[in-house]
Amino acid sequence: MASVTLLAAAGEVGGDFFKERDVGDLCQAQPDHVFCFDWARENIDRFGTPTVQHLQIVIPAIVIGFVVAFALALLAHRTRWLQPPLLAATGVLYTIPSIAFFFLLLPVTGLGRDTAIIVLAAYTLQIIYRNTILGLDNVPASVKDAARGMGLTQRQILWKVELPLAVPEIIAGLRVAVVSTIAIATLAVLISAGGLGTQMYGSNLTFPTSIIMAAAIVMLMALAIDALLLLVQRLTTPWRRAAQS
Amino acid sequence: MSDDQASSVRYEEATKLYRGSSEPAVDHLSLEVPAGEICVLVGPSGCGKTTAMRMVNRTVEISEGDVFIGDHSIRDREPAQLRREIGYVIQQIGLFPHRTISQNIGAVPQLLGWEKDRIRARSAELLELIGLDPELGDRYPSQLSGGQQQRVGVARALAADPLVMLMDEPFGAIDPINRERLQNEFLRLQAEIQKTVLFVTHDIDEAIKMGDRIAVMREGGRVEQYATPAELLMAPATEFVEDFVGADRALKRLALMRVSDINLWEAPLAHVGQATAEVRAKLDAADVEVPFPLLVDGERRPLGWLSERDLGADVVPGRPDSPLGPVLELDDVMRDALADLLQHETQYAPVVDRRGKIVGVLSVEIISEFLASPEAKTDEHPAVERPHG
Repeated sequence: MASVTLLAAAGEVGGDFFKERDVGDLCQAQPDHVFCFDWARENIDRFGTPTVQHLQIVIPAIVIGFVVAFALALLAHRTRWLQPPLLAATGVLYTIPSIAFFFLLLPVTGLGRDTAIIVLAAYTLQIIYRNTILGLDNVPASVKDAARGMGLTQRQILWKVELPLAVPEIIAGLRVAVVSTIAIATLAVLISAGGLGTQMYGSNLTFPTSIIMAAAIVMLMALAIDALLLLVQRLTTPWRRAAQS
Repeated sequence: MSDDQASSVRYEEATKLYRGSSEPAVDHLSLEVPAGEICVLVGPSGCGKTTAMRMVNRTVEISEGDVFIGDHSIRDREPAQLRREIGYVIQQIGLFPHRTISQNIGAVPQLLGWEKDRIRARSAELLELIGLDPELGDRYPSQLSGGQQQRVGVARALAADPLVMLMDEPFGAIDPINRERLQNEFLRLQAEIQKTVLFVTHDIDEAIKMGDRIAVMREGGRVEQYATPAELLMAPATEFVEDFVGADRALKRLALMRVSDINLWEAPLAHVGQATAEVRAKLDAADVEVPFPLLVDGERRPLGWLSERDLGADVVPGRPDSPLGPVLELDDVMRDALADLLQHETQYAPVVDRRGKIVGVLSVEIISEFLASPEAKTDEHPAVERPHG
């Protein structure tokens, strides 16, 4: 996906990630190894810090993205004419190629984690915003009518009726956002923000073991957070399971 | 609980003009619903009946005029506070899908800040009142049938013991059989709780059944006639009302009568073991309209009709030749009684009192004579006693 030129350019700005990595003697006997278990066992420690860094990028990005998108959705829910422009604006952000986005921000926010967090948060806006609006719109009109007729205030209708009923859609959006954010965060290496990308782009491309391990950790991380969100959804929407039984 | 509180509702020149519309949806509406009565707003779609109803809880804001609950103008009240004192039932029910049945019923009490225990007790009490198993309280709405959900909708509206109930086509989405059941249940409930109810429907039959008073409305939000069901059927004020009530309004009057409201035929009675000659003599008497004797037991409870063959014996046999057929009760609604006769393809049937004792015979002939008589059109006879009237 990234061109050689770009990698080289990133190498200049991004520091020393692109140096040939020491493969060690462990797998020298079989140079065309796809995955070298011995090396993996020996070098598992290398992945600790990048994993922590990865989470330090991903979690703030998702939290910030969620807070902003959620606030925008609530605003657009109350002020309906804001919906199309907000959808367009978050949509435009979403279409900016990620590498371009990183480098475009460099002059403003510089190298490092902050830039990565801003870019990744911007990418989550579209999906979280759209799903929150969708969830709120899916609340049956009759339920809102009954709530209003019973004497709930607008605020009570939002927090006690509409949002609880929109939880499944909101979490569905969050889950998609989490998986894509964790994946794109591997590019943070390009702006010296660390993360599991360091174990991919910095590797000797003829020795893919490190790339495979980093990718596996990325995937496990995505699955784990996804499972956590699914659990949250189950705990907050017991009425949905009742409907199915 | 203090379910005996209810307030009158009074519209004074209430008008609703929607923005961008030149014609008002409700036009200078003035009517008063006495406390504890059911007032049905009925009319074709677009006549403003729902708008008129929604004025009361300010889910529709009045453009001109006023509505009073008791002596208090609704304009003086903060809408959300006002609505908590007014029960609200809608056709689509609108139960909260994410709340249990008990939580749904307890919604308004919770808004009013009742203690948890009091809310729980009230939910249980209302579940019982509407005839639902208390165990259903922990279920979610999606686990209940449509009829059960609508009962819960009514219970939820009653939870905080409102002064007034607004019901917008509450049984409109229920299948005909369950609708009838829910209507009857609500009338029974209303006899107990005696709320002031504004009930919206487009179905004149439902209006006649449910209403103590009926306001027939037409396009443009005008009331054509505001009267009791019997008055409406007997003396439609305008051509519109006459058309709306329908050509079969004489038949509809039957829905307002009970079997006890009409003069029955006397039944020639026979007892087991009685001499048939004696029975035959009764039949030959001039004023007997029923062609066969009715066999009754010692308590005067009907057993069956005697046939010519039965009368051929010397004494009345213990087992009559012809089956008894339908047995009607004095309390039966006349329309149902007629339906019973027609369904059994019979011309007449015995009528019994509450203890099952024979009081007379109702025939299709009696009913058709009544419908043809001037009495059917002019009778000021109070129609069926309302459950609470």
